Amino acid sequence: MNYYKTLKSAVAAIAVAVPLGISPVGSGIANAQDAVNLRMTIWSANEAHLKLFSDIATGFKKDHPNVTVTYESLPFDTYTTALTTQIAGGNAPDMAWIFETAAYDFVNSGALYPLTDTLKATKGYNAEELSTTAAERWTKDGKLFAYPFSTSPFAMFVNNDLIKASGAKTPAEMIAANQWTWDNAIATASTVGKTGKGGLIVRDFNYQIWQNLASVWNGWGASPWSADGKTCTMTEKPMVDALTFIHNAVFKNKAMPGPGESVDFFAGNAAMTITQISRASLLPKDKPFAWDLVPLPKGPAGNYALIGQAGVGVMQSGKNAKTAAEFVAYMTNPENSAKLSQFFPSARKSLLNAEVLKKTNPLLSQEQIDKVVISGIATGKVIPGHTGFAQIQQVVRSGLDAVWRPDANIPAALQQICGQIGPLLKR
Amino acid sequence: MAVVQQTARPEGRSSSSFWTVARRDSLAGFLFIAPQLIGITLFVLIPLCLVFWYSLHEWNVLANTFTYTGLANYQMLLEDTSLPSVLGATAIFSAGLVIFNLSLALLLAVLLNQKLAGITIFRTLFFSPVVVSLVAWTIVWGFLLQKNGGINGVLLVFGIDGPNWLREPVTAMISVIVVQVFKNVGLNMILFLAALQGVPNELYEAARIDGAPRFKQFRRITLPLISPTILLTSIITIVGSLQVFAQIAVLTQGGPGLTTTVLVYYLYQQAFQFHFFGYGSTLSIMLFVIVAVLTFAQWQMRKRIVFYES
Amino acid sequence: MKAELSPRRQVFLYGLLCILLIPFVFPTWWMVTSSVKPISDIFAFPPQLLPESYDWTTYSKVFELQPFVKQYWNSAYIAALVTIGTMVVSSMAGYAFARIKFPFANAIFMVVLLGLLIPSEVTIVPLFQMFLKAGMVNTHWPLILVPIFGAPSVFATFVMRQFFIALPVELEEAARVDGLGRFKIFRKIALPLARPALASVAIFTFLHSWNLYLEPIVFLSSADKFTLPQALTQYTDAYGGPMWNIQLAAATLTALPVLIVFIIAQKQFVEGLAHTGLKG
Repeated sequence: MNYYKTLKSAVAAIAVAVPLGISPVGSGIANAQDAVNLRMTIWSANEAHLKLFSDIATGFKKDHPNVTVTYESLPFDTYTTALTTQIAGGNAPDMAWIFETAAYDFVNSGALYPLTDTLKATKGYNAEELSTTAAERWTKDGKLFAYPFSTSPFAMFVNNDLIKASGAKTPAEMIAANQWTWDNAIATASTVGKTGKGGLIVRDFNYQIWQNLASVWNGWGASPWSADGKTCTMTEKPMVDALTFIHNAVFKNKAMPGPGESVDFFAGNAAMTITQISRASLLPKDKPFAWDLVPLPKGPAGNYALIGQAGVGVMQSGKNAKTAAEFVAYMTNPENSAKLSQFFPSARKSLLNAEVLKKTNPLLSQEQIDKVVISGIATGKVIPGHTGFAQIQQVVRSGLDAVWRPDANIPAALQQICGQIGPLLKR
Repeated sequence: MAVVQQTARPEGRSSSSFWTVARRDSLAGFLFIAPQLIGITLFVLIPLCLVFWYSLHEWNVLANTFTYTGLANYQMLLEDTSLPSVLGATAIFSAGLVIFNLSLALLLAVLLNQKLAGITIFRTLFFSPVVVSLVAWTIVWGFLLQKNGGINGVLLVFGIDGPNWLREPVTAMISVIVVQVFKNVGLNMILFLAALQGVPNELYEAARIDGAPRFKQFRRITLPLISPTILLTSIITIVGSLQVFAQIAVLTQGGPGLTTTVLVYYLYQQAFQFHFFGYGSTLSIMLFVIVAVLTFAQWQMRKRIVFYES
Repeated sequence: MKAELSPRRQVFLYGLLCILLIPFVFPTWWMVTSSVKPISDIFAFPPQLLPESYDWTTYSKVFELQPFVKQYWNSAYIAALVTIGTMVVSSMAGYAFARIKFPFANAIFMVVLLGLLIPSEVTIVPLFQMFLKAGMVNTHWPLILVPIFGAPSVFATFVMRQFFIALPVELEEAARVDGLGRFKIFRKIALPLARPALASVAIFTFLHSWNLYLEPIVFLSSADKFTLPQALTQYTDAYGGPMWNIQLAAATLTALPVLIVFIIAQKQFVEGLAHTGLKG
């Protein structure tokens, strides 16, 4: 009910603020006291999140008594769609959360208001401590267009009960013996898979959200397109090798659930799953199993890490873009970043220490935080993205369907995908 | 355009000879339809014109650019290599849906039109999916249709190794049709049930006395008498089938390949996911033309199908 | 209405109905039972037919996390207004198209029929722009006005027109000879006879409004204005993931009253519809 109360008080605040805003109109001079209402679209409707956000909004109001911030929760699955519908209808929010995959669209289109100057002008903001790898996707021509407030590494959750029951080696044992490689990981998954349980699951992939496979193919140094985004690289050896490896794991070794098979790790039905660490909250409390969290295995190209991100940006079209940018600066200053980091891992270096992270991830051990979280955020590459990603995603998804068959001709299928997305990449 | 000719029965008598009455009638007619007509103008015609206007533009929502490009989007329509398979999928989906929906609705209506204790409970249960949340409905079916899902589990009992329903082109199409039909067939079932109960019992009794077998009774008496309802439900169902995509989006995302990408889902993707509002509008116009032509054809055919309409 | 069936046929029929019922009932069963399962059991495989442990707190959480009562009220009053409004608008228009001779009636009917043909995805952006100009975004007006007067009511008008065409005209003719005006004839004679058709219009319209999803998402932005289908998506955990058990509890609460109304009303509704018959 907190959210409801907050909303009510927000409405009351507007009711109070609006007459104040109207009174000086007669003078014809814009007054510093003009009421400003800022709206931020978000994809969380979680009570705890909203409580934190409204606290931040209240804090901002102390220095900016005329500014009221409201949060609008859009459904997660259709978030970008709902957001662009609002923009198309001429009702863009002042600020918006942006998925990492959609980042290029928003940053490159000119839809966002550059934040760098405002952040630098904010006292004690200390913008330099934001890691450059984390800011890369949100930056264009040296200017930051959205602040990556959430940088969450991918890692491997392990069900040690299942692995021990099958007689296979656990990841912890392999790490201790310096044998934590993809080949060995799949061997363990395959052993468990033969007992009738699930082996290794790339969570949310489901043979549709293929970009999550970057958590595997980055170990081969593979990438769907070149660094400048202009050329399709899916036909190159690393990608062919990586997909052949995954294909074998699925169809030969039964180490990963096949297309159309659903197995849930957090219900205790699979040996391992790759997902973001924040998913630790899904671990069952009433029927617990012995679990572990380990870094992604070593691939032929060496060690690697992957991160997912979320950014918050200011819409250029808003009337109060400058004020909105000031609010984003306030929301992401060191003090508030620390608060946000209990839900959204921060990319600020001062917050990337075991002490802070232990508080916000009580389920994780010191070692897990060091090995998985800190090094993951520091070294991780971001999930693939591109301008016009939604369309490219769909075309590749449809093309990869030819790979997910037992008798697939992988190089040919990839050749065809490159032919189809080539023109889209150049756009 | 021959719609009102059939309806013109009232003027068969005295009223039409007086000019004033006719005029008063015209006024009354316009007043009666005024709310609907104003609503249609505001909420359908004007938006439709705007959509047409958008279809002549390249509209980048994020960059906030809106450039007149003439018929470029329509040119793109012709060159769109995905479009033939999208249109094919749409035709198969709609045809399959209508046939399966109407036959199942009619079968259920006939079964439920019996004097049987507790029949009300059965009617309610068959109707219940209509009010169940679409999300819950789709998730459950997503489970059941997995390779290792409930349906294949049942098939295995009979020694059948079931297909990977949502991942094979043919079974994926069948699956999305069936899931959609089970959700909504209750509405058509009720309409058929009502129509069946409207068939006078004396007709059946007469047929029974004549010794006509049950199937013949059904074909000669029931079908002709409920034909108006068949027309009505088939129009609603066809039009409805062209507007379905939420379940497809969840169950198959239009795959494998493009085999279950129907036109309205494709349109939704182009406009709302890929942000090509201009091209999306062009597809809208095309969808609209297709539906209009289909409905008009059905409407024209009604004289042949429907047993009576004054 | 029909002759009693022989016991053997009855058993056969019961058996057939029960088998046919499985795909209709299982998803609902799963929805209701999963609403009291712990979240990790919901996706357990194979699906549990009965929860292994019961967690009834999901139902209280439904009300704690969202202004669910308010959202329930929103859905209910919008659906009620839309249903009543549609019945008025469409019975009048349907009657005029069936009975009254006026210029361009054919052409106008065709134009109105267009409304039946347009998916809401097609017109949602222009409608949004229009309502934004009218200052009606984040109000319930678009969800009330568009269904009553716009495309969704066309189906109702169509049903009403078909009904009135099939209705014997003699009573009305007699009333006309007695000098009754058009509106009086409509209200006093035609409309009371049209109850069965109105009933089917009512149930279709109510369900359509009750289940509306796209429009509320586009037009409404504050939680206390949300309608139920939209509110269901708002039960999410700390990381944006859906809290399935609570969502399903809310979905159960959303479906239940409508089912109960249907159980109570169905006999009257079906037989009333059949009484005069929804003909052509």
